[in-house]
Amino acid sequence: MFYAKFKKAIAIAEIVLAFIFAPILLAQKKMIQVKGSDTMINLVQILAEEYMAKNPKSPIAVSGGGSGTGITALINGTCDICDTSRDWKDKEFSLAWEKGIKPRLFAIAVDGLSIIVNEKNPLTRLTMDQVGAIYRGDVKNWKTVGGPDMPISLYGRQSNSGTYTFLQEHVLNNKNYSPDMKEMNGNAQIIEGVKADEGSIGYVGVGYIIDKATAKPMKGLKVLDIAKDAKSEAYSPMDKAAVDSGKYPVARPLWQATNGKPSADEAAFILFELGPEGQKIVEGEGFYTIGAKYIEANAKNLK
Amino acid sequence: MNARKNKKVASIARLVILASSGLLAQSTTPSPQTFSTTIYFDYSFWATNNGYITNTDPKVNANPMTNKFAFRRAYFTYENKISDDLKFRFRLDADNTGRLTATSGTKDDRLVPFVKHIYLDWAGLLPNFSLKIGMTETMAFKIAEDRWGLRSVAKTLVDGYKDITGADIRTSSADLGVNLTGAISKELRYGAMVMNGEGYSHPELNKYKKFGGYLQVVPVPGLNVWGYAEYEKLSDNPESAKMYKVDVYFDMISNLNISGELFTYNSDQKYNKVQQDDGSGNIVTVNKHYNIGGYSIFGTYKIIIDKLNIFVRFDNYRPNSTDSDKDMSLVIAGLDWAPIHSSWKIQPNVWFYNYKDANKKSDIVVNVTFFLSF
Repeated sequence: MFYAKFKKAIAIAEIVLAFIFAPILLAQKKMIQVKGSDTMINLVQILAEEYMAKNPKSPIAVSGGGSGTGITALINGTCDICDTSRDWKDKEFSLAWEKGIKPRLFAIAVDGLSIIVNEKNPLTRLTMDQVGAIYRGDVKNWKTVGGPDMPISLYGRQSNSGTYTFLQEHVLNNKNYSPDMKEMNGNAQIIEGVKADEGSIGYVGVGYIIDKATAKPMKGLKVLDIAKDAKSEAYSPMDKAAVDSGKYPVARPLWQATNGKPSADEAAFILFELGPEGQKIVEGEGFYTIGAKYIEANAKNLK
Repeated sequence: MNARKNKKVASIARLVILASSGLLAQSTTPSPQTFSTTIYFDYSFWATNNGYITNTDPKVNANPMTNKFAFRRAYFTYENKISDDLKFRFRLDADNTGRLTATSGTKDDRLVPFVKHIYLDWAGLLPNFSLKIGMTETMAFKIAEDRWGLRSVAKTLVDGYKDITGADIRTSSADLGVNLTGAISKELRYGAMVMNGEGYSHPELNKYKKFGGYLQVVPVPGLNVWGYAEYEKLSDNPESAKMYKVDVYFDMISNLNISGELFTYNSDQKYNKVQQDDGSGNIVTVNKHYNIGGYSIFGTYKIIIDKLNIFVRFDNYRPNSTDSDKDMSLVIAGLDWAPIHSSWKIQPNVWFYNYKDANKKSDIVVNVTFFLSF
């Protein structure tokens, strides 16, 4: 008797819920949500706009917040694709495993992380060790690294930024940044800070330093050549051959990740990014196209 | 005896020096300090009028109630990320003293803020490791709490046990002590805590400490099994309290989470006085120990991500293993709706209480909970 009543109540509840939620669910268009790296946001926004122009029935929303924010969103199921300008950390893979998320990674572009100073700074090159020592706060005056007698002012990103973490892992030897570093919200703010401050140093993705009109670094900035060590030759992040060959020591892939095998809509967008049109946009935005190593891994992960 | 004590002091001193040298080695990158507030309150409506707690007959209930607004909780949290590996948290909690049917009986029942958390969280000692020192969340509650995620609607099984059944379990959501968590691999994680055992409401009252620890196994992505055990010596008499808990979380279907929590609590101080034949025809009074236990199964389905979830929970309570008439169950079902932004939610929910004791009639309470976080 009770069971029959219970079944009836459940059936009524199901009908009521269906009436309430059906219009909401029908109104929801499946929009691909892309979230994460601020270094990648301009690039991915342009890629998405071009893709949507050709595929108007496939809406894509792109937002930033930093690589860490993007990874958290993918793990919590609040985005479909996350953008990261750094590798995933072990603890992020571990959390994804715990939550049943199986990240699949796709390199969509390569960035030569650029070390910039004010154009009035006469210095032209630094070694990796020198950049590390400057950002750790061990070196506080340009004179120590062959520059003018002038205090160094540090510009960097906040800790949820993939660029912050990438530099910390690859250049600062996993040590902490100097407490004197000014933590800026994005690449554009770092550039503005460096332009206005003669003693400044900053780091940004190569896509942010080029003036598209002149194909040269923006006015007010100087891009330093970086050498692996004191004995090595220094290279510019704007030298594509040096970035491709790994001679430029602070190059990095820019990643996207999906939860497991990408859906048909996600795969179509990723294929567009990796294809000739997408890679042309990558170059147009000042980043570099992906090499054979990544092409093979991407193809495997799309299957 | 003295030599043993000195050795102990020397070991502790070594640990402190090791820890502080590590801490001093950290350079301090100033990072954002954050202030956040979470508040929830609800409107409750008694859908039954003859239940065990919703009886509106003045002969049974001197202060019958049919509906009320209740301001249940307000948290104010300050967090400071001192460096990449070192964080500090200070949380004030303003709690409601009134329960579903009663007030504290004092002249004044206003919300009173108190310190809930005050701890340092250091992740620099080992990779995938965290050490918290101070008044921190206890593992007994946190495991299920993080998973349930609807604290505004209801406390989890063990946390809300006393409110629901009246049976007191000597455990708390926060306590003063040292708390370690870490991961050996992505499949195996661990946690251990040494604490006063008095919770956040009292200073240490005895010389004994409470120990708790868990192992978490994640054999495949999305399947989590936690085993938790807690032990505390209660007095110089051979009296102790133990709690064992198993939590299972299933996260393998898109947008659907299903979880289960099962526990048993055994205290040498929990017994009924019963009269029995001593074997020679004499009736004597003896202490008969009982366990407290229960289980909870709950699930959430995300209908619209970040906007609308539906949740259902079933709790079974066994507050006295020697008296099954005290058994009861509770079903909670509702919606978690963020119409504009996740910082503001409306959570309509229904609580259905059912009692094993035939003299207690079921209760149904409908709540509309308002959740604010900023």
